[in-house]
Amino acid sequence: MASSPILMQSPKLIRRLLQLPPSLRRGFYSTASKPEIYDVVCVGGGPAGLSLLSALRSHPSTERLKVALIDSQDLTTSRAASDTRVYSNRCSSLTPASLKFLQNAGAWGKVEARRVQDYHGMQVWDGVSGSRISFDPLNGKNGAGLLDALAELVPGSRFRESRRQYETGNEGVVATMCENQNLTHALLQRLKEAGGVEVLDKTKVESIQLGPEPEDEKALDLSQWPIVTLPGERQLAARLLVGADGANSPVRNFANIPSHGWDYNQHGVVATLQLDHAFAELDRRTAYQRFLPTGPIALLPLPNNKASLVWSVTTPLAAKLKALSTPAFASMVNAAFRLQIADLTYFLEHMDTIDIADELSWRLPNTSPASTGLPQSLPTVKAVQEGSTASFPLRMRHADTYTGHRIALIGDAAHTIHPLAGQGLNLGLADAQSLASSIAYGVEHGMDIGSPWCLDEYVSDRWAKNNAVMGVCDKLQKLYSVQSGPVVWGRSLGLGLVDRLGPLKGMVMGAAGGVR
Amino acid sequence: MTDKKLKYLDIGCGAGIFAESAARLPTTASVTAIDPTPEVITVAQRHQRQDPLLLEPGRLTYHNTAIENLPQKDGGYNIITLFEVIEHIQQPSPFLTSCLKHLKPGGWLIGSTIARTNASWFTTKLMAEEVLRIVPSGTHDWSQYIQPSELRQWASVQPELEVQGAAWQVMGVVYVPGLGWKEVGGSESWGNYFFGTNSYSYLL
Repeated sequence: MASSPILMQSPKLIRRLLQLPPSLRRGFYSTASKPEIYDVVCVGGGPAGLSLLSALRSHPSTERLKVALIDSQDLTTSRAASDTRVYSNRCSSLTPASLKFLQNAGAWGKVEARRVQDYHGMQVWDGVSGSRISFDPLNGKNGAGLLDALAELVPGSRFRESRRQYETGNEGVVATMCENQNLTHALLQRLKEAGGVEVLDKTKVESIQLGPEPEDEKALDLSQWPIVTLPGERQLAARLLVGADGANSPVRNFANIPSHGWDYNQHGVVATLQLDHAFAELDRRTAYQRFLPTGPIALLPLPNNKASLVWSVTTPLAAKLKALSTPAFASMVNAAFRLQIADLTYFLEHMDTIDIADELSWRLPNTSPASTGLPQSLPTVKAVQEGSTASFPLRMRHADTYTGHRIALIGDAAHTIHPLAGQGLNLGLADAQSLASSIAYGVEHGMDIGSPWCLDEYVSDRWAKNNAVMGVCDKLQKLYSVQSGPVVWGRSLGLGLVDRLGPLKGMVMGAAGGVR
Repeated sequence: MTDKKLKYLDIGCGAGIFAESAARLPTTASVTAIDPTPEVITVAQRHQRQDPLLLEPGRLTYHNTAIENLPQKDGGYNIITLFEVIEHIQQPSPFLTSCLKHLKPGGWLIGSTIARTNASWFTTKLMAEEVLRIVPSGTHDWSQYIQPSELRQWASVQPELEVQGAAWQVMGVVYVPGLGWKEVGGSESWGNYFFGTNSYSYLL
């Protein structure tokens, strides 16, 4: 029943209405509950959903679509922090292709530029054998990220095709570190500036159902349209319902799209680190990643003397690490990058009883950098930003498909990936770009944008590419979980040779990479 | 002068695949779609009701009628479309003349059909109907296929139609399994093709 303020104030009006014949009465009460027609309803105000809407608003073919965004969080409070000495522990590594997309969507210009950090090289090495893959785009052609290097090694593979779009852009930048809230805030600013999007934040989706059967032969038939019901009985009928609503996507569940994968029994521990020295704005920066048997540890540069940590460990270890005092945690991070595996294993097993800083101080001088493959330029961690240690469970999930009738999934709703190659957010942005492009094509050709004709192009563009990237990341994770034996030898030989053989890279890595 | 939106007449619209697409375009003022078969009109209208945009007044209207019985509309239509129709008509010349009556000066008559050759007999009759059974047997009568040259010949004797230069267009297309329909220059002389003819606009 419509809760109109007029009704509340006038019992006389209510009585008069109740005296109306039933057909008119039904008309009056049901106008409030008739669904409002929208072209695109996007559930989820994270980077994937926001960038999809920004792209739609930035393209002449799609800027007249009627669009709504629903999110249960308060989106207005999202803003980049102003204190440049403090950084959020949720950062993402944006590839040049992602940046280009964000620029075209009109959002990148609104990012707080001082809080963003390009990096120009990656030092990646095997914790057990010390073998290195290091990529310097000044020597290599393009795509100096970890996955790009692997892709180059297997010419003609579908994986390589999926990486083509990630080729490096300007001045050899491999990727750009950006706090998630900085990006989200920029996207929201862009949407506010562009207008035309109804932002329904702090709004929970009560239910999603198909519309009712039509009343008669002539009436509008919404029985194949998803109807989103919001608190207060407001209903939005979506020509296309986009699920950008995260790993446990309610939209995906509504569409009955199964999703398969597994849990890694690992957590990703994140923190903001303070390094032993500061870098100037125009300095070339490097990202570092060491593959440990317990999981990779990565140091990603932030402006000045800051860095972001992502360390994949077993779940019990994650709990113990988070319980450490910040100085002990800082020492542990240094240990994880620099010590031999045997020493590190001892540290991890006894971290709650030993004095980590002390143990590190005498073991480190006795550890030759050559024996662990330690890159010379790796900075030392001086401190950990208070309150920045956190962790999240690691899993791999892939939805069987990304679309249904009047449904499309993007971002984490469609796929979840191990963070070891820094791809998660970039895949989501690429999804948004592809879907926006399919929608534009559909509008230009008179298609119903919720129909399979329009949406099939999106699935066939993204599913196989995402699957290839996820496959490689998963195999890398498994490959590097092994401590000893032929696999270690094989991967060390492979990677060591890779570093030196140049043109023969493809043949050597083809087998070990398992990319197909 | 403001953007002039286009009025379409889709003849032999079937279940409305083209009619709906045309009706959704921002450059379209209205689409009138006709078919003599009542069942397909019912299917088309049922599908139309699933899209509120198509229910906007005047945007898309179906009539269960043949072209000969369609009442004349003020000024005619900017674009008349005839997709996969003419090969089913026993007397194409008077049929096309009836279609022409509704074409606005300066407008286009656009259609698609099949050339009458051994190759088209092989693909559309033997393979499509008998061997692969993609369409029911008897869908096409090969003797009713029309050569592009015959169409052009007909067009050239119509006083309203211009057939010189860009006013007469033909595009041969071939279905490539796995890739879909592809434009193949010259294939109009033996296979499926699109044609378009422009009416003189001096009468505007």
